[in-house]
Amino acid sequence: MYQYNDNDKTLVNERVEQYRDQTQRFLAKKIPDEDFRTLRLMNGLYIQRQAPMLRIAVPYGLMSSAQMRMLAHVSRKYDRGYGHFTTRTNLQLNWPKLEDVPDILAELATVQMHAIQTSGNCIRNTTTDPLAGVAPDEIEDPRPWCELIRQWSTLHPEFAYLPRKFKMAVTGSPKDRAASEIHDIGIHLVKNEAGEVGFEILVGGGLGRTPHIGKQICAFLEKKHLLSYLEAILRVYNLSGRRDKKYMARIKILVNKLGIDTFREMVDAEWALIKDSELQLPEAEITRIKNNFKPLDYNADAANDNSHINYLDSDPAFKTWYKKNTCEHKQAGYRVVYLSLKSFTKPAGDISDSQMDAVADLADQYSFGEIRATFNQNLVLAEVEQAKLYSLWQKLAEIDLAKANIGTLTDMIVCPGFEFCALADATTLDVADQINARFDDLDYLYDLGDIHLNFSGCLNACGHHHTGHIGILGVDNKGENYYQFRLGGSANEQATLGAALGKGVAKDKVVDTLENILNVYLENRSEGETFFNTYHRIGIKPFKEKAYAATH
Amino acid sequence: MPLLINQNIVSDDSWRLIDEDTTDLSGDIIVPLELYTDEADKFTDQQGRIAILIGEDNSVKTLLAEPNQYELIVIDFSNFGEGRGFSFANMLRRADYTGQLRATGYVTRDRLGYMQRCGFDAFDISEEHYENDDAKAWTEISINYQGAADNSQPIYHQKG
Repeated sequence: MYQYNDNDKTLVNERVEQYRDQTQRFLAKKIPDEDFRTLRLMNGLYIQRQAPMLRIAVPYGLMSSAQMRMLAHVSRKYDRGYGHFTTRTNLQLNWPKLEDVPDILAELATVQMHAIQTSGNCIRNTTTDPLAGVAPDEIEDPRPWCELIRQWSTLHPEFAYLPRKFKMAVTGSPKDRAASEIHDIGIHLVKNEAGEVGFEILVGGGLGRTPHIGKQICAFLEKKHLLSYLEAILRVYNLSGRRDKKYMARIKILVNKLGIDTFREMVDAEWALIKDSELQLPEAEITRIKNNFKPLDYNADAANDNSHINYLDSDPAFKTWYKKNTCEHKQAGYRVVYLSLKSFTKPAGDISDSQMDAVADLADQYSFGEIRATFNQNLVLAEVEQAKLYSLWQKLAEIDLAKANIGTLTDMIVCPGFEFCALADATTLDVADQINARFDDLDYLYDLGDIHLNFSGCLNACGHHHTGHIGILGVDNKGENYYQFRLGGSANEQATLGAALGKGVAKDKVVDTLENILNVYLENRSEGETFFNTYHRIGIKPFKEKAYAATH
Repeated sequence: MPLLINQNIVSDDSWRLIDEDTTDLSGDIIVPLELYTDEADKFTDQQGRIAILIGEDNSVKTLLAEPNQYELIVIDFSNFGEGRGFSFANMLRRADYTGQLRATGYVTRDRLGYMQRCGFDAFDISEEHYENDDAKAWTEISINYQGAADNSQPIYHQKG
C-alpha cells in the first residue's frame, strides 16, 4: 500500500494542529457556530441526534494492521468500544466528545490516518473495488489512480467550498464492485481499440432525492490527463452548480439540466486551457505511485498445497463459508476472504474494538498486514493462501466474523437511521433486526441466491435503497414510520434504479411484505435465475399483486 | 476594517467603493461590474483610477480578455460557504492578471490560506472578524499537493 513520505506526514500533522486551533477558537467563541459547522464537517465531525459523530477517512478502503489497531484504540479510549464502517469505506465513531477530537486526530496521525474531507461540500474519499489488484478480471490496478486523486484533492484550495459534496470512484475491472455509476464522477480503467489503457469517465451519478445514473462524458482519456480533466469538471461545477437550494446543488442536477453534450462542451473548453499544464502527470510520478502497489511477495508454492480440499470435504460449515465468503485471486494458490460485518448481533457495518484488534492480528498472520473495507460494509483480507483458509476460518468464527452470508439477503447495506442520524426520518436498525430474525435459516438464504437488500432511513439514501435489488426506504408520516419498497435496482455495471412497488407499509408489516416479494420470485424463477433477472423478466406487476397480501 | 495586503496591515488605502447612488466619483473608485457595464458613460471622464468589484453571481469571463486594464479587482464573498470566488481568482491569475486581487465581504481567517493560494493578495476583513493572529493562517499548512495561482507546480514538480 502507499507509504507516506515526509511531505505526506507533515501535511496530516499540520492539519491536526490547524483543526485543534479551530476547535479552541470555537470553544472560546471566536468562530461563529455556523462557520465552525462548515470547518468541522470538512474534518468529518457531525453533531448528531445523541452525540457528535466523527468519520475517519480510509482512503480507497485500504488499511494496514497498524492503522486498524489504532482505530481499535481510539474507539476504546474516546468512544464506546466500537466503530461503524460506511459505504464510502470510512469508519464512523458514534460517541466522541467535540473537545477530544483534536487529540483523536493527533493519535490517528501517528499512523497516517485523518478525517480530512470526510464530510462537507468538498471532494470526499475516493472509493474503489475491494478486489483491486487481486481480481482475475482486472485490466489494471485502480489504487495508484485513487492515490493520485487523493493527493490532488486533499486540501485543494479552489474546490473546498463547492456547491455540494463530491464523490468519485475508480474501477479497474469490467465488473463494477464500487458502485461507480452512482458517483459524481465514475472513472473506469478501459482498453481502447489500439490496446492502450486509459479512462472512461462518467459524470452526474448520485442517489438522494433525485437519483441519476452517471452519463459518459469521455469515452477514452489518456492516463496523463486524468488530473487536468478532473480539474476541468470541478471548475465548471464550482462556477455553474446551483447554490440556492441544497437539494439542487449536486453535479447530477447541473448535468441533467444542461444535458451531457452541453456540459461536455463546457468541460472541454476549460480542459483545453489546462490539459498541457503542470497538471499533466509525468511518467515518473505515475511510476512512483505505482511502485507502492506492486504485487506482494507471494509464496510461489501456494498452489501446490491443496490440503484445504480435505477440509472442504469433511467440514460442511467450512465449505459453505468457502463458497460464500471467499473468491478467486489472480495469484494461483491464494483466495480473497470476506469478513462479514452482518453477523445479526450488531448493526450492519459495526465492529468492536476487540474485533478490530483481532482483525489486525489476522491480517498480519494471513494477509500481508493489509485490510480492506468494502462498499457493502464488510471487510476483506485479500491475500490469503488457500492452505491457511481453514485455520483463518476457525479464528474468524471465534470473533463472530465468519457468518457465511456474503452476497445473500442478510448482507444488507443499512444506514444508521433515526437512532443515530439527525437527518433520518425513520428507524432502520430495529427493522433490520426483524429481517435478520425472520430470515435466519441459512439454507433458505442460499436458496434465494444473490440478492442485494439496501435500506435507508430517509430520502438522502445513504443506505442506497435505489440500487438494491430490493430497496427499502423508511419515511415518517405524522410520527409513524412507514417503509416503501423498490425493486430491480443495481449498483453494478449497467447500474439501474429500482422501481417503486407502491404504498409504504407499517413497521410491523415490513418483514411480511419482504417475504411476499421473495415468494413471488421463488414461484416465478427459472432454473438458476437470480432475483434481479427474474424481476426484469416478469416485471413489477406480479410483485404488486402479491406483496401486500396477508401472510400466514 | 483592517486591510491586509501581502500579509501586512495597510492603513492608507485610496480606494473607495461606490454604488449606483454615489454622485461623487472623484479619486480612486471601486465600481460594481453591473454598474460599470450598464452605465459606462458615467465613467468616461473619470480622473482617478477605476477598479472592478465582482460578486459570485457575476461572470468572471467578461474580465478575462483584458484584466490588466485594472490595477485592482475586488471579489465579494457573501457568506462562509461561498466558493465561486476561489475559481474567479484562479482564472484571473491564469489570464496573467498582475494587479491587486482583493477579497471582500465575508472574509475570515479560516479561509485566508486557500484564498491566497488561489491568487488573492489583499484581504478586506471586517473588524468583527479580525483577530491579531490572523497572519498565522498563512503558515498553518506548509505542504501543497496541487499547483495553484501562488505556485503552479504540483508536488511532483516541486523541488526538495
